[in-house]
Amino acid sequence: MSLFSFVSVASADVNFSGKTITWVVPFKEGGGTSRFARFIQPFLKKYLPGNPDVQIMHIPGGGAIKGSNYFEKNAKADGTFIFGSSTSVIVNVATGNPLVKYNLSEYRPVVLLPQNTHWFTRSDLAEPHDLSKIKERKLVLYALKTPASADLFHIWIYDKLGIKGAKPIPGLSSSGGYQAFLRGEIHLSSHGAANYVKKVKPEIEKGKVVDLMTLGIIGADGSVSRNPLAPNAPTFPEMYEKVNGKKLEGDDLEAYYAIGAAWSQASKAMMLPKDASDEIVKAYRDAATKMTNDPEFKAKALKALGPFPLIIGEEAGEIIKKAAVFSDTTKKQLNAALKKHKFTYRVQ
Amino acid sequence: MEQLLAALFQLFEPTHLAFLFAGTLLGLIVGILPGMGGTSGLALVLPFVFTMEPSHALAMMIGVLAPTTTSDTFPAVLMGVPGTSGSQATVMDGFPLSKKGMAARALSAAFSASLLGGVFGALILSISIYYAIPIIMAFGFGEQFLLVVLALLMVGALTGDNLFKGIASCFLGLIIGSIGTAPITGDPRYTFDTLYLLEGVPLVVVGLGLFAIPEIVGLLDAKGSIAKSLNTKKGWFTGLKDVVKNWFLVLRCSTLGCLVGALPGLGGTVVDWIAYSHLKQTTKDTSQFGKGDIRGVIAPESANNAKEGGALIPTLIFGIPGSGNKVLLLGGFVLIGIEPGLDMVTTNLDLTYLMIWSLAIANILGAGICMGFSSQISKFTLVPYYILAPVMVCLIFFATFNFNRDWYDFIGLMSFGLIGITFKNFGWSRPALLIGFFLSTKVELLSYQTQAVYGLSFLTRPVSIILIILCLATIVLLTKQKFDKYYRSDFVKGKLTQIYYNIILLCLPLSMIWFTINLDYRANLFPISLSLIAFFLLTFILIIKIADLKNLSFLNYNIIKFARSNIFEIGGNFKIQIYYYLSFIGFLLMNFIFGFPIATALFINIFILFHNKKSYVSSICISAALMVILWALSSLLTLQFPNGLIGLFIDLPWWLGGQLN
Repeated sequence: MSLFSFVSVASADVNFSGKTITWVVPFKEGGGTSRFARFIQPFLKKYLPGNPDVQIMHIPGGGAIKGSNYFEKNAKADGTFIFGSSTSVIVNVATGNPLVKYNLSEYRPVVLLPQNTHWFTRSDLAEPHDLSKIKERKLVLYALKTPASADLFHIWIYDKLGIKGAKPIPGLSSSGGYQAFLRGEIHLSSHGAANYVKKVKPEIEKGKVVDLMTLGIIGADGSVSRNPLAPNAPTFPEMYEKVNGKKLEGDDLEAYYAIGAAWSQASKAMMLPKDASDEIVKAYRDAATKMTNDPEFKAKALKALGPFPLIIGEEAGEIIKKAAVFSDTTKKQLNAALKKHKFTYRVQ
Repeated sequence: MEQLLAALFQLFEPTHLAFLFAGTLLGLIVGILPGMGGTSGLALVLPFVFTMEPSHALAMMIGVLAPTTTSDTFPAVLMGVPGTSGSQATVMDGFPLSKKGMAARALSAAFSASLLGGVFGALILSISIYYAIPIIMAFGFGEQFLLVVLALLMVGALTGDNLFKGIASCFLGLIIGSIGTAPITGDPRYTFDTLYLLEGVPLVVVGLGLFAIPEIVGLLDAKGSIAKSLNTKKGWFTGLKDVVKNWFLVLRCSTLGCLVGALPGLGGTVVDWIAYSHLKQTTKDTSQFGKGDIRGVIAPESANNAKEGGALIPTLIFGIPGSGNKVLLLGGFVLIGIEPGLDMVTTNLDLTYLMIWSLAIANILGAGICMGFSSQISKFTLVPYYILAPVMVCLIFFATFNFNRDWYDFIGLMSFGLIGITFKNFGWSRPALLIGFFLSTKVELLSYQTQAVYGLSFLTRPVSIILIILCLATIVLLTKQKFDKYYRSDFVKGKLTQIYYNIILLCLPLSMIWFTINLDYRANLFPISLSLIAFFLLTFILIIKIADLKNLSFLNYNIIKFARSNIFEIGGNFKIQIYYYLSFIGFLLMNFIFGFPIATALFINIFILFHNKKSYVSSICISAALMVILWALSSLLTLQFPNGLIGLFIDLPWWLGGQLN
């Protein structure tokens, strides 16, 4: 009882009344991270102590590095500055981009919004959920924007599944890649959940496209469950076991967790600077928890944010650490895959 | 069909209509100002659109584009100066009509022809959207690559006064566009280790620098007010009757405008001339042409508004711009998160319809405003340029800063401004440079993508063969028409300056090779190949120029003749233009010291008073009005003005450039 009252006193000390909170988003308006921020913005005002104004400040540029560096340099730790992170912000750190000046792994995450990746192919190339015909092909083309992004993980995934013919076509956005896939120019394609529902599902129903697998949803205990949007499709660990005849474990499992944290679990995130006090972090996390129970949030979240529940609390901090700091073995794995496909780019 | 109507209802919501209306007004104004056109207008709007809803932004951008070719008739008819490049042919008969005292007839015929042409273009666009999916599916990487390359060549060949200078401009644009991160390997190219160049110079900054600044400087050079007197009272009804009588001509020229507009790369610069020559070829009695035949106004005006609908087809479904203003429209798409291609006719179909309706309504609105308020609007042509110019410069600076809130953008703006001024004065093609700049990354990626999927076999696919034949035929036909007139340069002054400029241009490809030669071959193959081509083209042009200067005899052979045509340009007074350009740099320095709001007030007053000491009333009123407008804009959009050094020492209120919090 005494502990309970202590905690409530501590959070009562935090009061943002009359203040303006600046949410730095290192991307342009209209992108996923901006939409995420805009959706959360009114709830944050509603549930943070003192109902402060929340303004979103977009600082695009340099592949999210400009805005992220700006936040590191200028953010005050008093809770009036928050940061909108995404997979690319994390990948910049994890892959050791020399221009990065922000130490993301020490930031204090408040909310993570997970995502999931779906892989699929044309129905004339393979049976649903089965890679065997794809593996026999001499040439399996797929879209890759640039190896210095989260697309790097595709290279590793196809390598681990033994798709020897896999050859990336550079410079294709996911939408451009999907168009080329529909034209029959590339063989394997992937999409995030939102576009999967909007663009891929109709083609699957027409019988033109078949599901192959999903990245899988990683739980707090490390267990991997299937994606509710494609419940019949195996997860990557299941596919790995089917193809290689052994469970996903050891270095491969470690790399999978790191990739999953960066790509899926921390796909979008709201964070406080590293020096933010525990009281402030708690006030934010409480506000986020209240937000998830808000009936208006519940009504709109599925459409605006997708089907995956938000991750709030200490668990989020662990995920960010895993995502932002790749172990040497994971880096070695990624670099081996890069080298195999003759990329000059290396994870540092 | 349901979606088509839903989009119409959406557009009639007050907010949409308001944005469309605001865009249309801006479009009308930039259309009237000679030299300023849709490209400058969009460049001014673009830094603000990304704070808007996508549908609002689209309504506004289309609003700016559609009516420029309507209102550009004012200067064409009243002053004999085309308001945009789309009304060059209108001058041929419009100005003589006005001299005969029939300005009102010419204007009303032009506006109603514009209206019909514009709506016809929107109609064709909406029909072709229905057939877009199979076309998109038939255009793989190889076909797209060909389309882009041929579009580039056509722009280069047709927008330059000299064929080789036009194509060289294109390659220079491609080289500048390749500055930044190499798309395949991620290597930095030509960035001098700066984060700013890593992403390349922003498109908006390039657009404003290349188009808006040279036009302002050029008009200041031309001096004085724009029109001398106005006589637009009588004859409105006659003009309307003329259009009704020539309905079949309107239909033919609208169709022609749509077709020409839809050919990527051909765009706005030639469509009016094509319509005009079609008119000449199909008319029996040509004696009145050039002396004030009303059909000579109707034909180009219906075609140049109809082309917008046609030009949006390749823009929306392939992301390939046909002209400078489409480049900026595509830049706007990127800002609001719309990707051209299949999505435009499937998941984003509602937005496509919204654009089509906006196009139709903006054309009607634009023509309506022009007719209803013609005497008020035509007074715009009476405002002396030394009053308009400083206001426009301030708006350009404001737009530039608002885009990224980055001081480096001003360096980019002034650099491209200088490139624009020199290009304009020395007869190199600015649209070709802009389109090359914009398409550079796309060309590089498509060449890799095509190679990975097809190798060279893409050249033998049926669509490719059709494309190649079609485009070669167009180029041959149009270049023949355009460059047959042999032109000698005996009375061009300052030939040596233009030769030195040519040598300076040579430094770009050479330095690009120097700085990228040690990179991985996948990072430098593209810029080095471009640089080599540009180097040979520029050297060839240089040789022709020197030979022309020395009047060497080999230039008189027929094959070389067309290379010599317009090799030198008779620009304006280059020194005066540079002098005005330097005053803009002075404004930039004032910004550094005082911050944007104070510098604006100072600059406007100094500039106007320098030209006319007596107009202090107007200079004070204008600067005060502009301050109020900027203040309103900044509170509306929660912008912070660029604050100068003075803000570090004195605590200024935020609307004078102080800290926001």
